[in-house]
Amino acid sequence: MSAIDELSRMPPPVPPPPSLALEAELGKLTAVAPRRPVRQLALLIGLSLIYGGGIASMLTLRRDLADLPMGWFAAAGLAWLVGFVAPVYLATVPAPGSIIPRWKLAGGAAVIGAIGFIALGLAIHPSAPTSGHVSFGTGYGCLKFGLATAIVPVVIGAVFLRGALPVGSRWVAASLGAGGGALGGLMLHVHCPITDTLHVGIIHGGVVGIAALVAAALVPRATDVR
Amino acid sequence: MADEKDLMQRYCDGDAGAFRALYALVAPRLLGYLLKMTRERALAEDLLQHTFLKVHRARKAYVRGADPLPWIFSIAHRTFIDEARKHKRAVVRVGEVEELPEVPAGLTGESAERRDEGRADPELVSAALDALAGLPDQQREAVVLTKLDGRSVAEAAAIAGTTTGAMKVRAHRGYETLRKVLGTSSEPAKKTTGGAP
Repeated sequence: MSAIDELSRMPPPVPPPPSLALEAELGKLTAVAPRRPVRQLALLIGLSLIYGGGIASMLTLRRDLADLPMGWFAAAGLAWLVGFVAPVYLATVPAPGSIIPRWKLAGGAAVIGAIGFIALGLAIHPSAPTSGHVSFGTGYGCLKFGLATAIVPVVIGAVFLRGALPVGSRWVAASLGAGGGALGGLMLHVHCPITDTLHVGIIHGGVVGIAALVAAALVPRATDVR
Repeated sequence: MADEKDLMQRYCDGDAGAFRALYALVAPRLLGYLLKMTRERALAEDLLQHTFLKVHRARKAYVRGADPLPWIFSIAHRTFIDEARKHKRAVVRVGEVEELPEVPAGLTGESAERRDEGRADPELVSAALDALAGLPDQQREAVVLTKLDGRSVAEAAAIAGTTTGAMKVRAHRGYETLRKVLGTSSEPAKKTTGGAP
């Protein structure tokens, strides 16, 4: 294809000088502090855990706590914590030498988190005599508090990532939402004594998916480069 | 000579001269990409200015030590996509090859005398641009980034916000279409430039 080869050999064009609007912006140029992803991640995790802990302390600890197998309780708590940290890490910290976070991996983490926590909730939910057993329809409170917990990491992440996402913003947003949802799941894990299969699977696990979808719909408005 | 990283860092530190040097370094490549995507000099220059305005407004998102080029190209890609969606006319067809004496001038920004010094065949270039303009946006971008700008498939995918696999498929389909189109259309152009009556 000699025509394409000819085109590829053409010298780069001579650009026009910066526009008046750009010159006006340069006229009032000030120093800015570039993004520090690891510091931002630490701040996001720290503030979110404090906020989630605050919500959990406002509510009561689950009444069946003493009767549950502690190994399962700790492992499930750790899984929720990893479900929070891993997606927010991928959403905020780019690969070395990059500016744009790893949105493909972040998107994958959001999908795996959303499906995984529902599946795990449906599959593993040990019950104790003091556990609650109510129908699926009473899950509104859990959904409300779970999503309320997810708000803070999503908002903080959106603020930190402003301008960093010319591409992949929906996936990164979904990842922030999934992480926030998992934090909500962690909070519910220490609060809610209901061990009904559908409640744990669909409501507690569903918080992750719902938060991911809502974040994917709303956050790019804040993070897109304008 | 300072590289893009160093210039971007100094620009973030408030050095307007560093921005100008960065602009001088990056704008030709960016304009080349945008020209091949839009095929309209005025629109490409407009998108170039929009891109740099966005870079300026988003410079806080820069991470020290990072290569700013993929990020800047992604912003240009996004700006082009937004413009294409807004006007539903990313491709501007301006007629037959004979009516296009300004196309190479618009692409290179060089005078007609310098262009005639035998570096690129204007008719072949016009044929290539015509063929390129006939591709869907995504395939055109894949061809421009990988074949014309010499970027790796991974880099092109990062700029366009897609997966490496999808970028490979787009580039392959784009090449195939170009091969079919240029396989027939580039021959008459060669004859014409050869001076045969």
